[in-house]
Amino acid sequence: MLRLPIGERPRWQERAQEFGFHFHTMYGEPYWDESAYYQFSLEQVEKHIEEPTEEIHQMCLDVVAKVLEDEELLRRFCIPEQHWDFVRNSWKNGDPSLYSRLDFAYCGQGPAKLYENNADTPTSLYETGFWQWLWLQDNVDRRALPLQSDQFNSLQEKLVNRFLDLQFLTPGRELHFACCKDTEEDRGTVQYLQDCASEAGITSHFVFMEDIGCDTDGFFTDMQDQVITWMFKLYPWEFMFREEFGSLLGTNNVRWLEPPWKAILSNKALLPMLWKLFPGHPNLLPSFFEDELHKAAEITELVKKPIFSREGANISIVRGGDVQSLSGGPYGEEGFVFQAMHPLPKFGKNYTLIGSWLVDDMAAGMSIREDGNIVTQDMSRYLPHIIL
Amino acid sequence: MKRTKTINLARMRKGRGASFVLRPLAIGVAAALVGCSSDEEVKVVSSVEDCVNNTQLDEAQCEAAYQRALEEAERTGPKYANLSQCETEFGSCRETSSGFWMPLMTGFMVASLLDNDRRHYSSGYYNPVYRYSASGSRYYDRLMTADGQVIGRYGKSSYTVDKSAMDPKPKVTKTVSRGGFGSVASAKSSWGGGRSSSGSRGWGG
Repeated sequence: MLRLPIGERPRWQERAQEFGFHFHTMYGEPYWDESAYYQFSLEQVEKHIEEPTEEIHQMCLDVVAKVLEDEELLRRFCIPEQHWDFVRNSWKNGDPSLYSRLDFAYCGQGPAKLYENNADTPTSLYETGFWQWLWLQDNVDRRALPLQSDQFNSLQEKLVNRFLDLQFLTPGRELHFACCKDTEEDRGTVQYLQDCASEAGITSHFVFMEDIGCDTDGFFTDMQDQVITWMFKLYPWEFMFREEFGSLLGTNNVRWLEPPWKAILSNKALLPMLWKLFPGHPNLLPSFFEDELHKAAEITELVKKPIFSREGANISIVRGGDVQSLSGGPYGEEGFVFQAMHPLPKFGKNYTLIGSWLVDDMAAGMSIREDGNIVTQDMSRYLPHIIL
Repeated sequence: MKRTKTINLARMRKGRGASFVLRPLAIGVAAALVGCSSDEEVKVVSSVEDCVNNTQLDEAQCEAAYQRALEEAERTGPKYANLSQCETEFGSCRETSSGFWMPLMTGFMVASLLDNDRRHYSSGYYNPVYRYSASGSRYYDRLMTADGQVIGRYGKSSYTVDKSAMDPKPKVTKTVSRGGFGSVASAKSSWGGGRSSSGSRGWGG
């Protein structure tokens, strides 16, 4: 695993415009960064990322099964009691999932260590599935990269195929896509998924989360008053459970992507549960609930993460009785989990985080984020990679 | 190979060069589909009166079907960013409330044979059709649906279409309340920490 400099493609910003990639620069800071790339060997990708990704996904599904049959655990995962049946039923019915992203600390050798599972609302999908794919193609075409360069990135192909399956599993329904207003990045991610769905022949619509309506029977509607029967939402389950229309969930015959059982996986309580079920697993970091900290006595540094949080918010480091805040944010009211400190590897001045994608249960590609800070946050940069 | 084998770049393009918002993409493709086994004979009628005279629907049903076709046209019709593009392809166009240009509906389809169920307007589906009028095009003067499926030459007394053209569309209802989702995100985004100046960039992660 190497970080190598490379010349930017001439006028790549125009190419971004051509393909509708509008959030490559945000708040005046570069987000897409093609001044360098990461190079992996095939063995690193297959043995250290791809295999553990599929294995951990299966382990995570074991956690879901365990949590859903245990009320005490459902409370620990902060699933509101009124939604227990909604979540349980989606699991019992085998509601299909679309995608997720596992985040790993990995330096090129030794086991990759799982940081967390973005199973409900993962983003940086377009950058991964399409834009870095195009970057490789363009650079091979202009001979800036060797002809035999490859990439761990079958994301777009797998998404389209998955939508074909989902259409078959969800007959006779049209798919509504939704995200919040005023977030160009989320809208771009959803547009990409719409494009993949339409490639698979699915009829789709878009509605903003804030614009979703309901009729007198409690059915959800879009802005054209069409009843919503199948919905992809880039919006966290834990938010929806606590909002006004949350009380209608489970009453109005909607099929959801991601399915409600993903609320168990996108939850940081997953981490101590994984450690409990698979203690000592090479890809896991020791993790604990707050009331289990006595078991962590010999671990000198712990990272304290809120049960619910996004984009690296509200992270602290605990050393004995000493707590040092690394990032602020609006999260933490539901409580925290503790994970053994395992810093991100540093390449030059940059801390590097690997995102490993799954489409359903198949490993489907890799994305790389860099941050000058040890906690990868929403202003970190995206860098492409190759396999050589 | 560990990556997607091929991506059709033409389909991924979204830049300024693409000046239409939604247009009949299937022109030239859908025509080939006609002739498969699930055909259905339909009348294309241009008004309520035309509908009463030439189909099995009565006047109330025709009126309802017409209204439904108009709504459907508003929802699904081809939309263009400017008038001249629309006129080039469809002749007569109008501006929508959202500022796009759409062709006027030429008429709507009614199945020639209707059982009792389908005669009842709420379960039937009346697909609007448009008259393509780009001179020099091989689709000149053809009727087509919003998705570009060619029905046939304008002016025939009946047409044979693929049954899928007549499929019932999703249920439409009366919305009584909106805004029941989004409040948690809105509360969290008022928090202005981090390096991003306007709170969080999005609610994915």
